[in-house]
Amino acid sequence: MTTTGQGMPRGAGAGQLTQAKASARGRWRIQARMQPSAAWRSVSILAALLGAFVLSALLIASAHVNVGTALGVMVQGAFGSRGAVIETLVQATPFILTGLAVTVAFRGRIFNIGAEGQFFAGAMAAYWLATVLRGAPQAVMLPAVLLAGCAGGALWGFIPGVLKARYGASEIIVTVMLNFVIALVLSFLLANPWREPTSYFYQTALMPDASYLPRLVSGGRLHLGFPLALVVAALVWVLLWKTTLGYEIRAMGINSLAARYKGISVATTTILVLVISGAIAGLAGVGELTGIHHRLRLDISVGYGFAGIIIALLGQLHPVGVVLAAIFLGALLNGASAMQIVTGVPVALVNAIQGITLLCLLIADVLARYEIRRTAGND
Amino acid sequence: MTDVLQATFIVGLFAGMIRIATPILLAAMGELVAESAGILNLSIEGTMLMGAFSGFLVAHITGSLWLGVVAAIASGALIGLLMAFLSATLRADQTVSGLALNIVASGLAFYLFRLAFKNAGSQNLPSVGAFSTVEIPLLGQIPFLGEVLFTQHALTYLAFLLVPLISLFLFRTRPGLELRSIGENPRAVDMRGLNVVRRQYLAVIFGAMMAGLAGSFLSLASAGLFVPDIAGGRGWIALAIVIFGNWLPARILFGALFFGLIDSSQLALQAVGLHLPYQLLLALPYLLTIAALVVNRSRSRSPLALGRPYNRAERGA
Amino acid sequence: MSVDSPSQSGLGSPAGNPGDEPLLQVEHVSKRFPQILANDDISFSVARGEIHCLLGENGAGKSTLAEVLYGVQRPDSGTILFRGLPVTLSSPRDAIQLGIGMVHQHFVLVPPFTVLENVIIGTQHQGLRLDRRQAAERLGGLCTNYGVNLDLDAQIWHLCVGEQQWVEILKAVYVGVELLILDEPTASLTPQEVDKLFAIMRKMRDDGLSMLFITHKLNEVLEVSDRVTVLRKGKLVHSVATRDTSQRELARMMVGREVDLNSVREPRTPGLPVLEVDGLRVRDDRNLEALRGVSFTLRQGEILGVAGVSGNGQRELFDALTGARKPFAGLVRLAGREITHSTAAQIADLGVASVPEDRVHQGLVMEFRVDENLILGKQRLSPFANGAFLNQRGIAAFAEDMIREYEIATPSGGQVTRVLSGGNLQKVILARELAREPQCLIVSQPTRGLDVGAMEYVRRRLVAERDRGAGVLLISEDLDELFSLATRIAVMFRGQIVGMLDAETASREQVGLLMAGCESTV
Repeated sequence: MTTTGQGMPRGAGAGQLTQAKASARGRWRIQARMQPSAAWRSVSILAALLGAFVLSALLIASAHVNVGTALGVMVQGAFGSRGAVIETLVQATPFILTGLAVTVAFRGRIFNIGAEGQFFAGAMAAYWLATVLRGAPQAVMLPAVLLAGCAGGALWGFIPGVLKARYGASEIIVTVMLNFVIALVLSFLLANPWREPTSYFYQTALMPDASYLPRLVSGGRLHLGFPLALVVAALVWVLLWKTTLGYEIRAMGINSLAARYKGISVATTTILVLVISGAIAGLAGVGELTGIHHRLRLDISVGYGFAGIIIALLGQLHPVGVVLAAIFLGALLNGASAMQIVTGVPVALVNAIQGITLLCLLIADVLARYEIRRTAGND
Repeated sequence: MTDVLQATFIVGLFAGMIRIATPILLAAMGELVAESAGILNLSIEGTMLMGAFSGFLVAHITGSLWLGVVAAIASGALIGLLMAFLSATLRADQTVSGLALNIVASGLAFYLFRLAFKNAGSQNLPSVGAFSTVEIPLLGQIPFLGEVLFTQHALTYLAFLLVPLISLFLFRTRPGLELRSIGENPRAVDMRGLNVVRRQYLAVIFGAMMAGLAGSFLSLASAGLFVPDIAGGRGWIALAIVIFGNWLPARILFGALFFGLIDSSQLALQAVGLHLPYQLLLALPYLLTIAALVVNRSRSRSPLALGRPYNRAERGA
Repeated sequence: MSVDSPSQSGLGSPAGNPGDEPLLQVEHVSKRFPQILANDDISFSVARGEIHCLLGENGAGKSTLAEVLYGVQRPDSGTILFRGLPVTLSSPRDAIQLGIGMVHQHFVLVPPFTVLENVIIGTQHQGLRLDRRQAAERLGGLCTNYGVNLDLDAQIWHLCVGEQQWVEILKAVYVGVELLILDEPTASLTPQEVDKLFAIMRKMRDDGLSMLFITHKLNEVLEVSDRVTVLRKGKLVHSVATRDTSQRELARMMVGREVDLNSVREPRTPGLPVLEVDGLRVRDDRNLEALRGVSFTLRQGEILGVAGVSGNGQRELFDALTGARKPFAGLVRLAGREITHSTAAQIADLGVASVPEDRVHQGLVMEFRVDENLILGKQRLSPFANGAFLNQRGIAAFAEDMIREYEIATPSGGQVTRVLSGGNLQKVILARELAREPQCLIVSQPTRGLDVGAMEYVRRRLVAERDRGAGVLLISEDLDELFSLATRIAVMFRGQIVGMLDAETASREQVGLLMAGCESTV
């Protein structure tokens, strides 16, 4: 290999005529990994969390608050006492369920952005049934109300499912639109037929006692919903990896063309996915309704549906990850309330942190699929 | 007497249609450019919100509405830059990236809003004023059309001007052809020695800038204030209108106007005192969007490579 | 940076200094990928005004080398000299500016755009205006010069494959090239179109253009090239003048052992009808009629070949027979039972197995494990499932058996499928499809992209199925394959069967003419 050192050849466009280095020790190159190992994925998750932490600290600093103090208060607020831990789990409960709802959908590559609406649909169906069954004993009322919640959410998932299966309508846009629609329906109901007659607020009367999810501990709001959510997590795991339907969902989610060729009905599976996803989100709605608020209001959800997307992605679309991510987010929310009281940093910080964590995770996830290797010289 | 009322009603209806269509049209045209380059940008709702907020904030701080607009465009550009980085450079899944950025933008806007205006409800939010409409001399005097078409905000004129401009750009210029080729088959363009990634960046950033601009219209012209849900789904509606418009500027314009008409009629009907629950009227645009997706089955012009990451090293077919 | 304006013929500088120094010199070029060393210390050169053939079986490293020469891949080591000077090719732009053009194996065209638009993309660098008129004139002149007849305003997806090939070639010639790389250009051409391509290549060579012609077909090497370089498993075997070698010798260099170029077809008496197709009409993805009344009968114990350039309805035929697409008219019967509108699942249950042409996108779920892919389509049947639940043990046992029987190179059934080589991917599909001893096997381009070893394995399996009594429908673009395996060959053209020939008595010319639509014997 030599350089000739001659001038530019005639008629050339200015193509690069430089010496190609064939150094004896090879050169660095970025290339795709064949198969990202579990170790690398864990590293990427940790890197993402670290990055998110740093950015969040910056956000706190932008509020002119001492970052250390703020974080300290946050951790205290989340885990500092028995009461704090209980409240963290309380906050985590709806996140687990909406996270699971979104996980099931995303595994089938169905982007259900409607968990928020399905949450409300479930709560509304549950409220309605509770008023119909007023007077029934708890043994009847409670399971009925929970099922109604699932049914309501399932219905609100069925609609986009059918529209996608039959008309190819983007489930992303349809579910987002339906979120707005059901919020308006609820708003209408709360303003008129369902409105508590004696109250100034847009809310319903208290629901019958028999419909309340029993509290699990004293001195805290932790209710049956939490263990129920864990059970649902286990069920989702079984669904996705141990059943034929779960196999079909995953196949469709990775390669819907091959799935179709091998006899898997994409249309049916799509509808099933959205029905199941909606049902789980609806269960989240009932949980909050009958576990915490005991009456239907517009603010029984503070973005649980959207948070579900974050949780599902943070949890790597796996039930175990979802539970962990949900507890993390519950801790964040719980701690942030305390932080707002003490330092004045708005609770809305959590929204920002959620988004940033997700972004960092996305980037880290993509980067983990590449590696920097030294390629050998003359092999 | 009834003639005047009717005339006022109709004028109000159509003028409202154009005003309401403006932000959607801006965002949709911007998204059209991005999608023509093959990138599906699902973060325009959040970008719009961030644009509305940054416009409002900067207008509040500087006292200048136009600076607010600039800030809105800049915030859009930043988010667009991130989206381009994720989609064109990292080649991450565009749907997930867009959703994630949406969440980031919304979350940040919400947080910064609470931070900047700590205890403000919509009642005691500081006012920044709002753009007033600009009447085009001479044309604005035309009896009926003048009020409807030629007495609108400056940004509205810009939005409608964009339609033929972008149409010309995409379909009649050299860089427009190159851009659209990327959306159909990026490899074809790459193998010709053109820089695919750079063009995708430009397209996505432009689209996001339009979304930011649309947001500033909402907070600085249309409503004159900021609330966390000021975008109200318009970004998603813009996405739907691109699909409904079959990626054609003229059809997208029609879609935006139609949507604007429906939304405007909801306000006009309320003014007239029609006794329908207002929630139903508010829900109409969203239901209509769903209907648009169902009714419009021909997506014959959807860019073939839309949403698919391009990797030079991967073999074709 | 503007492209220098090419001469009237669209070629680069004429052979000014003929014979002196080679146009292209490749010296000790190596390229490694994560799993494989694709190019191992390759050195050869291409003279000016020469058609140089790069010969090797699939997987030998030819396409990788072509990509290196076009700037799509960077070599790990080695030098490339063009016109005597070392060059760095870090992107196609560098290659184009030097005067290197490439006709890709898988076309890089924009289907909804016109011929003119496809050619001029990237050729104008200044200004906003699209100069269509001048471009059309120049392009028209080029076409006339080479005797190519193309409607410049036709959309690509209305053109047949041969015409699309010309557009690919024109793209390179239009900007002016000195070296034209053609990567397997004849894969989808009829024999007549191949002849025409070669005639044009010879004219280009006589005009001073050099060509690097990549192929795995021996007869083409001898027909058109001046020199040939043989690659095998990434290494250079030999570079030699074409007139100094023979087909047998080339085959031996290519594969490393004596290859039986003819396979013996055992006479068989086909049995009862397995598949009866009558007047089948099917639409394609754009709602145009792709199958316009196809009829044939496939019998037990026979291999019925379907020849034809891709795009003449083969895909829709495959889809309709496997249940992935519904015909809008016509009849399909499987052993007497009508399955025209049955679902894919039902058809598979009735004993129809299929191997699609795109292993990766149609046949497998790459992120799944090997054992999961082995039961794809059969996940609800026992022993793979117990009611609604998967039976992991049954699946694992089955996978173990299949891996052993088909010699699938994978450490276990739990391996992610994505890392397997092409030949092993095909084995997974075959194992899956043949496990239940189907009565009918439909395969499309089964050996495409496979190395010789894998090709032979697949063909042996097909013959074994035939011998077992199944009816095999073999859709293939590879005429050699059809002639060596099939008893009868149906030729498809524009959605119809234009000829049904006996493989033993028919000639390649006959088939070629039918493929090009010149003569119908039906």
